[in-house]
Amino acid sequence: MSNIKLLDIASARSGDKNDICNIGVMANSPEDYTTLVEHLTADKVKAHFGDLILGEVIRYEWASIEALNFVCHQALDGGGSRSMRMDTLGKNFSSHLLRLELEV
Amino acid sequence: MGKDSIRIAGGQGFYGDSPMAAIAIAREEAADYIVHDALAELTLSILQKDKMRDPNLGYARDIEFAAKSLYPIALKNGIKIVTNSGGLNPEKAAQKVAEILGAQGVTGVKIAAITGDNFIDRLDEVQQQGNNLAHLDSGEPFSSVEYQPTHANVYTGARSVVEALSQGADIILAGRVADPCLTLGILAHHFGWDLDGDLDKLASGIAVGHLLECGGQASGGNAYSEWPMDYKLSNLGYPIAEVSEDGSAVFTKLKSQGGKMSRNTLREQLVYEIHDPANYLTPDVTVDLTAVSIEDVGDNQVSFSGVKGKPKPEKLKLTIGLMEGYLSEQFFFMSWPYAYKKALKMVEAVKEIWKGLGIPIDRMEHQFIGLNGIHGAAIDIDESQVEDMNEVGVRLCIKHKDAKTGKLAMQSIVCLGLNGPPGIISKPGWGKPSTAMLSLWPTLVERDLIEEKVEIIKS
Repeated sequence: MSNIKLLDIASARSGDKNDICNIGVMANSPEDYTTLVEHLTADKVKAHFGDLILGEVIRYEWASIEALNFVCHQALDGGGSRSMRMDTLGKNFSSHLLRLELEV
Repeated sequence: MGKDSIRIAGGQGFYGDSPMAAIAIAREEAADYIVHDALAELTLSILQKDKMRDPNLGYARDIEFAAKSLYPIALKNGIKIVTNSGGLNPEKAAQKVAEILGAQGVTGVKIAAITGDNFIDRLDEVQQQGNNLAHLDSGEPFSSVEYQPTHANVYTGARSVVEALSQGADIILAGRVADPCLTLGILAHHFGWDLDGDLDKLASGIAVGHLLECGGQASGGNAYSEWPMDYKLSNLGYPIAEVSEDGSAVFTKLKSQGGKMSRNTLREQLVYEIHDPANYLTPDVTVDLTAVSIEDVGDNQVSFSGVKGKPKPEKLKLTIGLMEGYLSEQFFFMSWPYAYKKALKMVEAVKEIWKGLGIPIDRMEHQFIGLNGIHGAAIDIDESQVEDMNEVGVRLCIKHKDAKTGKLAMQSIVCLGLNGPPGIISKPGWGKPSTAMLSLWPTLVERDLIEEKVEIIKS
């Protein structure tokens, strides 16, 4: 068992649709994609964000571009135009997720 | 230019984006069409406020600058402009552009206004007809809403763009045509695609539009996958798609500009704001992106293909803006020593002042900049680690019903400049008082309720 940082094996981009934030995670290589599929679960993502994400997190596999897409519900304090946060549109959800460490 | 392929550039990613990349593309004649997306979810609310103030406004006002700078160069080089910058007032937008072009001696230009998406005056009517406008996520009926609607617009498809182009439009100023449908409209017109025809082609057109609609975000902007960036950000070249009749495309950017076009930059834009990649819903087609192929094929050249289509959704999406109240914010910064503890003391004092004065605040939030400013509740602050910080910022944000409350609340805590903890800086105006707090209500409406109109005027 060893720990790897998501930052070292993937990149990420996040964006908003009203109160839903999606985080696309792109593996650096096909091998890294296999690691992501096995270890980066929706539950781990939800736990990593604590109370920032109040609803469900759904994971979609996207093998053709070696990516996972996480769709996070009730994640943006009601949506960008009513959010009282600084990151109203969730553009930095990507950054926070890249800090996650996976036990592989 | 034959019919074999067509070049479309993403010229603008949002209302307020720089026109410089599009101007460079127009100068170098590197595209046949430039698409501009101007309407983020929030933008229509801003435009509604403009229109309430002045019935001649309500469009994305950066078209005024574009009509002085970009459009004349594009028109001279035979490049057409397709944008949803018409916002809530496409006819007035068209008149304004005609006037600005005319004043420069650019005459005879066909400018199309596309309307029909504005639904604000029809909310009662459709509810009486039996559609309760249930919230797409929660299922609550619209009648449960206590707030006033600010705007209501239906996302419409590519058909009106095809019609405007077939009537010879040089510039199209649409309302709420969904962002990627602008591009699909161009492709359907150019290749003669039937909008009720080959679903894979339609879906490919949407996918290309999706990759173009955020401008520089597809060509090296905002890209973790290219960090540390070995290219310039100051003059980012925006994406240009050379699309073939089968719907496949090669993406490039200008050699003369900064940025980068790579498999990585395009992959990052593909995932942006997508939910289920097998079912990306648009007014024209449901798009399946799961089998796409994105490959580096040359220097700043990336091929894109493999998009599949499924039938379009039965209904159209309507988004209603609701005025919930106001938000006000302010910033303070604390220096070493005791920076974090001073910040806590400051927040405590602010809360007591507002409570003591009975200022009507519905909700208050605060963040500590340098610790949890961006990630908020996702961060556990370890108090043993913050003892020796050089500085900490405090952001206060309050929600209130009355526009006056914001100013009053912030004025009432200015005294903490002298009466607060030692080693603090702030200035009135660092935070903005009383901005509109809007929530968006997504719902569905029947397709046959929407009839779009294309009107063409000449400069």
